[in-house]
Amino acid sequence: MKGSTIVTALVAAVLGAGATFLATRPAEQAGGTVRTARAASGKPDFGGVWQTLNEAHWDLQAHEARAAIVTQPGVYDLEYARVPAAPVLALGAAGGVPGSLGVVTGDGQIPYKPEALAVKQANAENWIDRDPELKCYLPGIPRAMYMPYPFTIVQGTDKIHMTYAFSNAARVIHMDKVEGPPDDTYMGHSVGRWEGDTLVVDVTNFNGKNWLDRAGNYHSDGLHLVERFTAMSPDAIKYEVTIEDPKVFTKPWTISMPLYRRLEANATVLDYNCIDFAEEFMYGNLRKEQLVKHWEGETMVVDIKRKVPAGDKLHEWYRR
Amino acid sequence: MRRRILEALGVAVVITALGIFLQGVVSGQAPATSGGAAGAPAAKAEPAPTLPGGLPDLQGIWYDEFDTPFERPAQQADKEFFTEDERKARDARNSGDVGRNQRFEKGSVQDVAGAYNAVFNSVRPTGRRTSLVVDPPNGRVPALTPATQERNRIDQEFRLALLQNTPTCKEQAPGCRGGKYGPPSPRLNEVSPFYNTQRMNRHNGPEDQSMGDRCMLGTTPDFAGFRRIVQSGNLIAIGIDTGQGQGYQRVVYMTGSHPAKNIRLRHGDSRGHFEGATLVVETTNFSPKFPYRGSSENLVLVERYTRTDARSIEYAATLTDPTVWTAPWTVKQELHQQPNDQNRIYYEPRCHEGNYGLPSLLVGARVDDQAFKLGRGPNPASADTATCVNELPTESER
Repeated sequence: MKGSTIVTALVAAVLGAGATFLATRPAEQAGGTVRTARAASGKPDFGGVWQTLNEAHWDLQAHEARAAIVTQPGVYDLEYARVPAAPVLALGAAGGVPGSLGVVTGDGQIPYKPEALAVKQANAENWIDRDPELKCYLPGIPRAMYMPYPFTIVQGTDKIHMTYAFSNAARVIHMDKVEGPPDDTYMGHSVGRWEGDTLVVDVTNFNGKNWLDRAGNYHSDGLHLVERFTAMSPDAIKYEVTIEDPKVFTKPWTISMPLYRRLEANATVLDYNCIDFAEEFMYGNLRKEQLVKHWEGETMVVDIKRKVPAGDKLHEWYRR
Repeated sequence: MRRRILEALGVAVVITALGIFLQGVVSGQAPATSGGAAGAPAAKAEPAPTLPGGLPDLQGIWYDEFDTPFERPAQQADKEFFTEDERKARDARNSGDVGRNQRFEKGSVQDVAGAYNAVFNSVRPTGRRTSLVVDPPNGRVPALTPATQERNRIDQEFRLALLQNTPTCKEQAPGCRGGKYGPPSPRLNEVSPFYNTQRMNRHNGPEDQSMGDRCMLGTTPDFAGFRRIVQSGNLIAIGIDTGQGQGYQRVVYMTGSHPAKNIRLRHGDSRGHFEGATLVVETTNFSPKFPYRGSSENLVLVERYTRTDARSIEYAATLTDPTVWTAPWTVKQELHQQPNDQNRIYYEPRCHEGNYGLPSLLVGARVDDQAFKLGRGPNPASADTATCVNELPTESER
């Protein structure tokens, strides 16, 4: 494309977007209706590039900041004084976990059955081996909605299509009547309806292989979600999910968080196609000549040899 | 015996995936009306629907219901369409068992390696077109550039070196075409001359496997799969169901511009606009890791979607990549809408999540290495674990 064509296209795009903006964003209406873009049907139009801005992907529940996702006992026998463990040690402060007030509503607790709580705790202790995210598996719903990656919502006539950067995963929310899937799924079978200006989505047919976050919170194939999408403004959606799974939880519980529109000019979801990124992690021990030293059978031994380059010794670089 | 079990495991994955695929084809993905597929004149279809605001409505599940050669067979020369008699003759031949139930000597490697009989093939009716490629007018993909030909020669030379001590070369089977039998090659542990995307007769790590083995088969463009289009004013989502659970998602942005040149994406960056009733999508920024028919990262793909009536889209794709092909070329397809309520599109590609085949294959290769090292097994370089030994003749060879 020539320079002038690009400029023309950009101007046209901006004008087009502006026209859409003006046409679909009426001033706040009487009766307390929230100002938002509207589709031809008159319902809110959630189309665009969205992302959460919180720490739910680390742990849905309230948690303190900690030194690393994998830690080991430090000098003191105190939970709050643990130090980073080998797998992430070389990342320094970039390998830590930020704190969060949590997104679980009510008392903030996830109502696990006692035996399920034991599984959750074992999951947390075996995070590296068990979390499907590390293997680039389809993330499932609701986890895909609050991973730290953007996603698009395409609001069609009878379908709402969400495409996630992570693993190029997708879901289709059927606003019309269709047959269910022939088998259980990672991403669930989503059927939507409007309750006033709120999009309500029933999600079923899960295969129970997904987690809810990096803290080991999980569900079974008995999962049933009710999601509610309500416009807070043209650029924010209140996203609430009621999570029901009688095999794992004693009662339904709810998470709530905003989704934010990515407002950058030319906001684009760049796919995070991570299958080959995870191959070394998953199959590195099966190479004829190992690349990452070293594996002992299926045990990955992370030897951290971080040689400090000349001139980069502690404080040396900053003194320059 | 152990190898047989390992191969069977890999095959089981394929069979399961195929089963799911075929189930869809047989039970749900039959044409919505009887007209198109049988080649009989269709009842006059309703006019193409539009969205509020007047733009064409491209939404639905779409599929090419016809069996059409990708490139035009030599005997059709410059003829773009089959006659009705030719279509009938092709249908009669395809519904027989030519080449698909053939057996080799029972218990032989050839018999097991090619053990996909007719049940593994879905047979679609012959369409009007003699080839999907419509431009150049001879219906064939243009010649490769000299640089690409040389690259392919170097690549093929390496692949044949890995095969040269196997029965495939000893018997001069089609899998060894261009090569000759000899001792195990000194090149056995060389790094592949180019980033590998095909299966080779070596399994030192994931990179020696084909993109299909690694669950990354789907590439853009795709002419074989089902596509679900969901459309709004500024964004169009296209979900592609192809390659035994190796489908993928695309989003076409109707605003903005392609990202910087250093951004390389598996399915490229797609920007669309309407030219009259036609959606035109330009895709650039492709990744060199996911070539389509040998395309490079310089590929520029221009697709045109025109909804011609209630159940049809005329689809055209022009591929321009001067580093690979000496001229641009164009594929045309008539896509037909599948019943929405049956929702028979496999839109959750989960090959990777169930990929027991890849680690099993690598485990098998390490076990073979070890057995050879200990003098308990044959040299892995003397076995063909890459080709189907006796590949079936290609369309143009029939």
